[in-house]
Amino acid sequence: MKNLLHIFKIFFIFTLPIAADNLYENLNADQLKRLDYLSENIRCPKCSYGNINSSNAPISKDLKQEIADLIGEGYTDDEIFNLMEERYGNYVILKTDINENKTLFLIPLMVLLISILLVTTYTIKRSK
Amino acid sequence: MMLSIFSLSLVQTDELQTIKTQEGKKLIISEKIYDLDGNIIPFKSLTEGKVLLNVWASWCITCLVEHPFLKSITESKDVKLIGINYKDQNFNAMNYLDKNGDPYEYSIFDLSGDISLKLGVTGAPETFLVIDGEIVSHRIGEVNLEVWNEKFAPYF
Repeated sequence: MKNLLHIFKIFFIFTLPIAADNLYENLNADQLKRLDYLSENIRCPKCSYGNINSSNAPISKDLKQEIADLIGEGYTDDEIFNLMEERYGNYVILKTDINENKTLFLIPLMVLLISILLVTTYTIKRSK
Repeated sequence: MMLSIFSLSLVQTDELQTIKTQEGKKLIISEKIYDLDGNIIPFKSLTEGKVLLNVWASWCITCLVEHPFLKSITESKDVKLIGINYKDQNFNAMNYLDKNGDPYEYSIFDLSGDISLKLGVTGAPETFLVIDGEIVSHRIGEVNLEVWNEKFAPYF
């Protein structure tokens, strides 16, 4: 019986990290999803090669907390992106916006379409 | 031809591909500020005249490297140097200043890092030159003679 209790205690310890997962208690599931989306799309200003979700730098944790607070206060995603851009510059926004540079998105698409067209006409011609 | 247009549109961005400095912005601190001894500091003292704000911490190695330079600057020039003690224990900060000398008029105690975060600080050390409440120069990283001459010396 005593052994069983010890085993139970060990299992209990293993479950602790799961309980620790929810650091942002004042946010509901929907807001947590938004927090995740925002932190995935904002670059860590210190380490600069990852987003603030993937970074362990203190500034990333602070920023994530700040974003969580802002979500709690009712800020929209765009407002938070703007706030971060205003403070750290466009560099920290990882989200891509087609309207900023349309050629960049359209040309690969055009190349794809043209090559499909060329390949199909070529194969049709050869099969005849 | 398409490839060239594509590559041109890639490099077309005129944005600086690094973190933006806080130059040209107003210095805004909405929290109450205290020095290391716990005395309250009027925000006005930061916005009057030329103030050099240096973000430092006792755990920060680069701060230790730039410390002698900051001391020499305050000795040789008329510089009002105010520290922001970033995410540091009060006791460690005091020890650090006892050991390495204290070039600061006073240091703002920022344990949580909130004041610095809102200022746009990304880590320690960072240095702001604030003239009449406006940030005119901002250095992310160590200040040495070269950086001083380039970014701060023109204002002194």
